[in-house]
Amino acid sequence: MVVPRHVACVMDGNGRWAAQRSLPRTAGHEAAEAAVMDVIEAARSSGVTWLSLYAFSTENWRRPSGEVDILMRLVRRAIRKHAPVLHTRGIRCRFLGMTDPRIPAPLVQDITDLMTLTRDNKRMTLTVAFDHGGRRDIVEAARSLIRSETPADQVTEASFAEHLPYSDTPDVDLVIRTSGEQRISNFMLWQVAYAEWVFPKVLWPDFRAAHFCECLDAYVRRQRRFGDVRPATMTGKGLR
Amino acid sequence: MSHTVSQENIDVFGPDSILRRLVGEARWGLAVTRATLLEAAHPQIGAALMENSTFLTHPWRRLRNTATSSRRLLDPDPRVRDREAARLNRLHSRMSGVDAQGRPYDATDPAARAWVVATLFESTVTMCRLSGDTLDAEAMRRLYAEHRTFLALIDGTSDHLPATLPEFWPYYDDIVEHHLENNEAVSVILYRLFANVPAPPVLRPYPMVWAAGRALAGPMATAITIASLPEAFSRRVALPDLPGARTLMQAAYLSAALANRHLPESWTRVEFFMGLLDPSHKGAGPWETVRRRAGKAAALARLLTPAAGGGEDDQVTRSADRFFAEVLDQTGDGYLRWPDLAAMAREIATRLDLGEQEEDRLFQAYAAWWRELQSALDSDSDGRVTRDEYAAAAARLPSTGLVKIADVLFDVTDVDDDEKIDSEEYLNLFRTAFQRDLTGAGDSYSRGAFVRQFVSFMSGQQHSNAYVSLLTSG
Repeated sequence: MVVPRHVACVMDGNGRWAAQRSLPRTAGHEAAEAAVMDVIEAARSSGVTWLSLYAFSTENWRRPSGEVDILMRLVRRAIRKHAPVLHTRGIRCRFLGMTDPRIPAPLVQDITDLMTLTRDNKRMTLTVAFDHGGRRDIVEAARSLIRSETPADQVTEASFAEHLPYSDTPDVDLVIRTSGEQRISNFMLWQVAYAEWVFPKVLWPDFRAAHFCECLDAYVRRQRRFGDVRPATMTGKGLR
Repeated sequence: MSHTVSQENIDVFGPDSILRRLVGEARWGLAVTRATLLEAAHPQIGAALMENSTFLTHPWRRLRNTATSSRRLLDPDPRVRDREAARLNRLHSRMSGVDAQGRPYDATDPAARAWVVATLFESTVTMCRLSGDTLDAEAMRRLYAEHRTFLALIDGTSDHLPATLPEFWPYYDDIVEHHLENNEAVSVILYRLFANVPAPPVLRPYPMVWAAGRALAGPMATAITIASLPEAFSRRVALPDLPGARTLMQAAYLSAALANRHLPESWTRVEFFMGLLDPSHKGAGPWETVRRRAGKAAALARLLTPAAGGGEDDQVTRSADRFFAEVLDQTGDGYLRWPDLAAMAREIATRLDLGEQEEDRLFQAYAAWWRELQSALDSDSDGRVTRDEYAAAAARLPSTGLVKIADVLFDVTDVDDDEKIDSEEYLNLFRTAFQRDLTGAGDSYSRGAFVRQFVSFMSGQQHSNAYVSLLTSG
C-alpha cells in the first residue's frame, strides 16, 4: 500500500456539530481538539510524513469577536497541553500564516516556543495553517520573487515555489474535507494543485482514526495520473 | 605611504612569531586579565579607564574588540597592521582629560603605552612560568623583541621600552614599586567586574544559569588574579592574601596549559571562545549547538509553566528610564556624559571598520548631538545629564545631531551611492555593524525613512531589536 506523503485536512463542521446538540458554536471547536490529536496519531502511525491542518483562515476573522477570542484561547490551551506529547512523538510543528497582529501575544509566544522545541524532530511534520490564506501566500511569493530581481523568463514553477512560505513542503497528495462540504476555501492553493480530494460526511469533531484510515484507502484506490493519459503508477509523490 | 614594494611584504613578526601563536590560544586570556589589572594600577591608564571605558558595563564587547584588535596588529599583511594602528591611535587620541583628583591623563602618553606593552610581556612570561613550560633565554629574548615591535607599530617608536631584556627587569620593578597605585580602576576590576560580569551574548537568555555560575566563579577569578600578581605590587596596594589562593591560581594556570596541550586544538583556540561572545562569529558552531539545546529547554519550560491568566496586555513598553540605562549610559555610572556618546561612536566605527574621514564625521555628529543634549537637558550645567533630567525631557529631545549621525550611517551603508539603501546594503549594515541577520526585511530605504527610523530609536520612542543589539551587547 502506497501511503500518501502529504495529507491535509480541512477541519469543517464544528459549528454544525454544536448546533445539532443545541450547544454554542464554541463547544464544537472544543470538541475538535480530540479529533485533531487522534488524526495526528493516526497519520504518524500509518507512515504519513507531512500532515497539514487548516485551523483558521484569514476569512475567519470576520466571525463574531467573542467566538474568535474563545478560539484563540482554545488553541493556546491545546498547544500547552499537547506540546510535550507532540515533541516526544518526534513531530515537528510549524504554523503557516500567523501574520495578523490580532493574534494575542501570549499565543504567538507559545506557538514560537512549540516551533522552537520541535524544530529538529524528524518523524513527521505537522503544518498548522493558522490565519492562513492560499492567495496571500502566492502574492507573498510574487513579492519575494520581484524583490530578488529574477528576470521574467527565468521564473519557472519550481523557482516560484521556492519563494512560498516553508518552501520545503512537498505538494499535497490528499485533502480530506469533513462534513461533506466540497470547496477549496483558499487553502494552500499552490500545493493542492494535483491533490486528490475526499469529502467524508462526518463532522470534524466526530472524525477519528478509523475515518482517517478510510480516507487513505480511498486515496490508494484512485489512480493518480497528474493529467497524463497513460495509466500512471500509483505514487505518493507530488510533482515539484 | 613610503613603503617600497619589497617592504610591503615584510612580516615584521616573522613566520614563527611566539606572540602570534600565543594570541591565538585561549589561555592567553589569563595573562591579559592579569596585565589589565597591572595597567589599571598605572595612574594615567587607571584614570583613562575609569573616565572613558565601557569595560564595566560591556566587558564582553571590550574583550572581543581587544582580541580582534591584537590579531589585526599581528597580521602578516602590513596594510592590515597599519590600518589597525591608525585606528587605535585615533581612538586613543580622543581620550584625555582630568581624573577625579584633578590630575591630567592622556591615552596617547608614550610612557603609559609602553607600560601596557610591558605588562603584556611580563604577564605572558609569568603565564608560561606558572603553567610549567618556562621560556628559555632565547625564546624570552625573542618574545621581548616582538613586544617592542608591537609597541613600535602603535607608537612609531619603541624607545619608551628598554632596549634589551636585562634592562627591562629593573624598569619593570621600578614602576611596580614606585609608580603603581591602588586606584579606583583596580578595585573596580577586582571586586565589581568579576562579581557582576553580565552573561555573554550566547547565554543571555538564561540569566539564572549565569548568575549561579558567576557566584562561584567571580570570587575565584578575583583570588586567582590577585595570587598571580607580583609580590611587591600586592604588598604596596595591600591586596588580601587568601589561604589556598596560590594553590588555586597555580592549578588554574596548570590546567589551562594542560588543556592547551591535550584537548583538541579547536577547543583551546580563541575563536572557540569568540563564538561565545558573538553568536554570529564563524567559530560559533559548538556554541550554536549549546544555544539550540538551551533554547529548546527554555521553550519547553515556558510551555510547561502554567499560563498566566490575563497577561494579554503586557506589551513591551520601553520607558525612557530603561532606555537610558540600556542604551545611552554606556559607562554604567548613572549619568550621561560625553564618554558615553563617544563609546557609542567608537563601537559603530569599529564594527563598520570606518576609514579616518568617515570616523571623524561620525564623531563630529555625535559631538553635535552631545552639545544639543547638554544645552537642552543639563539643567544644572554640571557637564552631565542625570537619569532624571533625561526622563523629564525625553519626549521633546532635540534631534538635529541625531539626524547628522543617521546621515553618516546612511552614507557608509549606501555603497553604490544611489541615495537609497537597498535591501542588501541594509542587511549588510546589520550583519556587520549590528551582528544581526534581519529576516523578512526586503524593502529598500530612502534616506528619509532610514533617518526617521534611527532617530525614533535613539530618542527612545521606538524599540528596535536591530539597533539594541549593537548598543547593549556585552
